[in-house]
Amino acid sequence: MRIALPTNRLLPPPEPLPLARQYRAALLWVAAAAALLLPVRGWLNTIDVAMVFLLAVVAVAVQSSRGPAIGASILAIVAFDVLFVPPYYRLAVEDGDFLLTFLVMLIVALLMSQLGTRVRAQATEAGLLEQESRIRFELNEDFAAAETPAAVLDLLAARIGALLGSAGRFVAAPAREDGPAHPAWPDDGIFADPEVRMAASLSWQDQSPVGPGTARGAEVGALLLPVSIEGRPEGVLAFAMPAGRIPSARELRLARAMLAQGCDALAKASALEAREQGRLEVAAEQLRTALLSSLSHDLRTPLANIEGAASTLVADDARLSAEVRGELAEGILVESRRMHHLVANLLDMVRVESGTLAVHREWQPLEEALGVAYLRVEERLGDREVTLALPKDLPLVSIDELLVEQVFINLLENAIRHTPAHSPITITAWTEAAEVVVEVADRGPGVPPGASEQVFEKFVRVGSAPPFGTPHGAGLGLTICRGIVTAHGGRIWVEPRPGGGAAFRFTLPLAGSPPRPAREAPE
Amino acid sequence: MATTAPVLLIIEDDAETRRFLRATLRAHDFVVVEATTAREGLAQLAGRNPDLVLLDLGLPDAEGMTVVAAVRATHPTPLIVVSARGREQDKVAALDLGADDYLTKPFGVQELLARIRAALRRVAVAPGTLAEPVFQARGVTVDLLRREVRRGSAPIHLTPTEYKLLTALIHQAGRVVTHRQLLRTVWGPNAVEHPHYLRVYMAQLRHKLEWDPTRPRLLTTEPGVGYRLQPGE
Repeated sequence: MRIALPTNRLLPPPEPLPLARQYRAALLWVAAAAALLLPVRGWLNTIDVAMVFLLAVVAVAVQSSRGPAIGASILAIVAFDVLFVPPYYRLAVEDGDFLLTFLVMLIVALLMSQLGTRVRAQATEAGLLEQESRIRFELNEDFAAAETPAAVLDLLAARIGALLGSAGRFVAAPAREDGPAHPAWPDDGIFADPEVRMAASLSWQDQSPVGPGTARGAEVGALLLPVSIEGRPEGVLAFAMPAGRIPSARELRLARAMLAQGCDALAKASALEAREQGRLEVAAEQLRTALLSSLSHDLRTPLANIEGAASTLVADDARLSAEVRGELAEGILVESRRMHHLVANLLDMVRVESGTLAVHREWQPLEEALGVAYLRVEERLGDREVTLALPKDLPLVSIDELLVEQVFINLLENAIRHTPAHSPITITAWTEAAEVVVEVADRGPGVPPGASEQVFEKFVRVGSAPPFGTPHGAGLGLTICRGIVTAHGGRIWVEPRPGGGAAFRFTLPLAGSPPRPAREAPE
Repeated sequence: MATTAPVLLIIEDDAETRRFLRATLRAHDFVVVEATTAREGLAQLAGRNPDLVLLDLGLPDAEGMTVVAAVRATHPTPLIVVSARGREQDKVAALDLGADDYLTKPFGVQELLARIRAALRRVAVAPGTLAEPVFQARGVTVDLLRREVRRGSAPIHLTPTEYKLLTALIHQAGRVVTHRQLLRTVWGPNAVEHPHYLRVYMAQLRHKLEWDPTRPRLLTTEPGVGYRLQPGE
């Protein structure tokens, strides 16, 4: 799974303003206050003026460190004294009245400076935490979408790698009870360096990070983070660290937090995988059981009949009439055909189920596949009327002829098995949007309500005992049809036929068309 | 002409299959020679000079195609290959290598005898020519000299390509002809990449010659392999 990587690098905390700029700000604020007050100094009393200067000092102090705050206070009291306390333009140091004003201003400046510094520090910290929690939150969200342990590991390696600015990689180490002290690490990439392998072993044994920035292995060319599932060591995540690159304490803290998240997600994904595996095994076991019971019944019956008839013929001491011998031989023939049919179906089923069904597509008229299928089942049709009504202008379809023939054969056999001996079967087709729809319709009892999905499941035989004197199939025919149609990109379903009966329909997608041979005039 | 029974060489490793073939073919007046391996089979071919070879493609000691090629390299003897269902590509490869026909296991006696007779008939006639200038089967008459085609008594107009395709099959009547062989014969060597040409023209031909083109009796499909023109009434 490829993941679009967000820029996961941590932004550096904002730098405080340089001191020179803080002093310049102090000067500007006090100068601005003075400039504002100067034109109207005749109308103001000294308390008002002092208040405005105090305001300027507070404005400076909240965004500065202590030095510029004190500077602003001194500057303000001097400007106040020189410019606004008569006699003007003279520093009246002896005038003790304003000593208190100065002290108050100084204390306020110091308090404000301290407060401002603390607020700024808190804001910075909050910003950093917000950034980290966003990264961790996004990671959690992406873990939710990662379905397999491998996907979780890929994601974790990519995300921590993005944080550290280094491509990460998970290296599995088999968990062994009493194995060698060092897991058999690979020796490619950064693991070509024996120091990295040693550090990986250390990290794996102690379940702690090793590498630059951590307590151990500061000189190793990689950072190694141990990965475990519920305390069981699985391996390490390795991140190459070029010489001189040392992850910051913040980066390491975040990396460890992400690692912990990753291990949790890994545990969940592993449990899920194990459950899915278990479910598949149960399904496979059920299939095996059903297959065995189907095999034992459906194959043993004809086999027993063949053996019985053949042994009678072999043991014949000229007491059997020619008629009886012929009947026994006929029985052998019929039963071997039945067995052949069952075995063929089982083999097809295995191909469809195991996903090894190869579709060899070729452009061709559907008519040909239908014709072959018809001839294959013709003997079994008896005197049933079968209408093959494909329109002449049906476009060529890109299909595997042998597989689509099998679909027709199975649908026809299904109809023969489930409808009365003389009831008609009609096969038609038409184009609809970008596909060809094929219909095999009968006039039998139809599919019981609610069973229209079920009939396509394997080993399902809907309806009671052999309905029309025909032997049961193994319940595989329609499942095989579904497998083949799906492999062609189509759908198959059954619906009630207006006027009675069942209409099995399947689609074959029409994508593009082949080059047509040139038209020619009759000779 | 003295009627000497044709000699059939069966190269087949399964004992029960040999037993069934031996019994059946002897009952139909063939002389049967058996071989259980490819090596033995090729030795028998040289030693007994059979009239026809029945070769199982699944021999344990050699690749089926190698045996087909080895037989064809030294002998023009009619060769019928036998293989299991689902191995259509093997059959096509064997036919393209020069095998005359094929049988799919399991097969019935009628099918077996029909294939053997068609293959033997082929050598009775000089290759590429027909005993009769007029071919007749299943209600269709083709006068190869006058290039006239009739269904029943009604004249049928074929395009040049349709006629070429029909005569290609008539020259091999009763035998399977692969898609590749037909494409090469009718459209030339470059056409083997366009197998649907053949299918389109075959459909046209069936619509003109068959009573029910969806259920062809004259021009039958050999699924995944090719076509066969069925001789007889």
